[in-house]
Amino acid sequence: MKTFILSSTIGALMLSGAAIAADVDTIAILTPEQGSDYGWNQQGVDAAKAAAAATGVELIIAEGLGYGDVRAPMRELAAEGADLMLAHASGYNTAGPEIAEETGVPVAIVDTPDGLKLGLVADYTLSGHEGAYLAGRLAAKMTTTGTVGIVVSGEPPSWNSQSAGFAEGVKAENPEVKVLYSVIGPAAYSDAAGGNRVTTSVIAAGADIIFGQGNGSSFGMIQAVENNKATDGSDVLFIDVIGDKSDLDQGHLLTSVVWDMTPVYTAMIEDLRADTFGSHGYAIGLADDSVKLLKTPQMDDAVWAEIMALREQIVAGDITIEPIFDAEDVRALVTLAE
Amino acid sequence: MDALLTDAFLSSLLTGAIVAAIPILLAGLGEQMSEKAGVLNIGIEGMMLMGAYIGFLVAFETHSIWLGFLGGILGGMMVSAIMAFLCVRLGLNQIVIGIGLTIGAEGLTALLHHFQFSRTYPRLPAPVRVDVPGLTDLPVIGSSLFGRHPIVYLALLGMIVLALLYRRTNLGMTLRAAGEKPSALDVAGGSVGRLRVAAVMFTGAMAGLGGAYLANIGAGLFLPFMTGGAGFIGIVLAMLARGRPLWVLIGALIFGAALSLTTALQVAGSNIPTDVIQMLPFAAVMLVLVLFGRRAKLPAALGIAYERGAR
Repeated sequence: MKTFILSSTIGALMLSGAAIAADVDTIAILTPEQGSDYGWNQQGVDAAKAAAAATGVELIIAEGLGYGDVRAPMRELAAEGADLMLAHASGYNTAGPEIAEETGVPVAIVDTPDGLKLGLVADYTLSGHEGAYLAGRLAAKMTTTGTVGIVVSGEPPSWNSQSAGFAEGVKAENPEVKVLYSVIGPAAYSDAAGGNRVTTSVIAAGADIIFGQGNGSSFGMIQAVENNKATDGSDVLFIDVIGDKSDLDQGHLLTSVVWDMTPVYTAMIEDLRADTFGSHGYAIGLADDSVKLLKTPQMDDAVWAEIMALREQIVAGDITIEPIFDAEDVRALVTLAE
Repeated sequence: MDALLTDAFLSSLLTGAIVAAIPILLAGLGEQMSEKAGVLNIGIEGMMLMGAYIGFLVAFETHSIWLGFLGGILGGMMVSAIMAFLCVRLGLNQIVIGIGLTIGAEGLTALLHHFQFSRTYPRLPAPVRVDVPGLTDLPVIGSSLFGRHPIVYLALLGMIVLALLYRRTNLGMTLRAAGEKPSALDVAGGSVGRLRVAAVMFTGAMAGLGGAYLANIGAGLFLPFMTGGAGFIGIVLAMLARGRPLWVLIGALIFGAALSLTTALQVAGSNIPTDVIQMLPFAAVMLVLVLFGRRAKLPAALGIAYERGAR
């Protein structure tokens, strides 16, 4: 009898172990702002929907949670049966691992590459630096004042790598072009007035193309781009990141470094099913179009063809761009040498 | 570096300082009135947000920035009316209610924005500027100081009017009495409750106007949480100003200038780490607190609900 009970228990445990590895029915995504911001939040929500559809799982969307403590909603989502929680904000990377430990529900966080824990915590610090490099090449080709600007609302690693990629692209195309750099505030993600103020100053300092990374504050940057002329009297152009704001464009959007996180989330679900979740990070890039540049009417076909030729060189490995995640390294690239 | 010392760049920095200072000035002046009457109005951040939302909504729908400002004033007053009812009439804790109102306004405006604007993100055209004849053409400071939207000049005029009100009128004395010794005012025949309600409503109007300025002039659009703590900076300035509107203006300009300085240092390619540069505005406030905080004189009955006949 004892042998029967023991073998039954072991068998049940093995079965349940197999079930845990294979059983991903529901995933949840938590975003700080609404998934309609034409940027980070919207791309995250859209990608989660696509990944859920591709892998046959249910999706729970918890959006507009702000940048504060998300422990309570995470506990609720765990109680609702989420098998994976995508904590889609760098501000959630403290609460995320804690809740994963507490509830046993795997959590994916961002901007914490060293925070991996097998089966429990994965990180997806993504970088569109290859696309930003192309945007830099494009900006250097099209600037008429010889000065371009980078305006950011914070310095998370993902944005640093894009700022660095953009600056490297500018310098590779034309070392004479100046790259100005300004951070709106420590975490000014929704500071639209700050975005407007800082961008206006950067334009006044000579920039005629602005590479803006800002979440909500991007709209303040766009407002400044639309309302100010460059120092040589030409129109100012804007390069966006992550999302596609062409629906809102009034003739100033030069391009956008668009991200598609669907492959990342799909891979996470597959990793959970294969018991490899938390063993490695995830990446996006030009090769599979998870990073790509947006074509707009503000650039002509010849320039676009040149940029696409550069893209092919990057994909083929003829040009390599290393991601730079540290803010100090970014400043070293963009600081004026005079 | 020399390339940055141009009229256009320096002018933009000065403009940025003023644009950043005006919402804080308006909020600080409103808070000062409330504190003088004995009500600590922590909900000012929520009043600013509501003013920003309604101010933008009205300006966008009517194509009139002035109606937008009026809408902002009414929006701020809507929130302050709740504060007045709960804290002055019912005597509830002013700090708790103030925090609650701020959180509530944050959530409500974010929700309304989501349903109305989150698919279109409409933006207002560039604000009209009024030039002061003879002064606008001055280099660097001309267009920054004397080529602004009229609301800037009205804010400065309001500061002067308030200074005169506090120092030269019976109403100013009565306000002080409501904040220092409300029972004495009551005995003298004044209505502490009415005065405090009026002061709180005025605070809401000023904070709402500040929020509308932030949305309509500063950003040209509304975004959830866009005040980013401007109301709390206004509270600090009001407390440090020792009841003097001019000091609120000076504090707001210092904060605005520090914000602009962070941009200037970065664009100029300063070798100071970004984190240190970004601390400057807040370090400036801390420095002022250290230097003048001990001298801050707050009304004796500030934050204490007045109940007639209570000992």
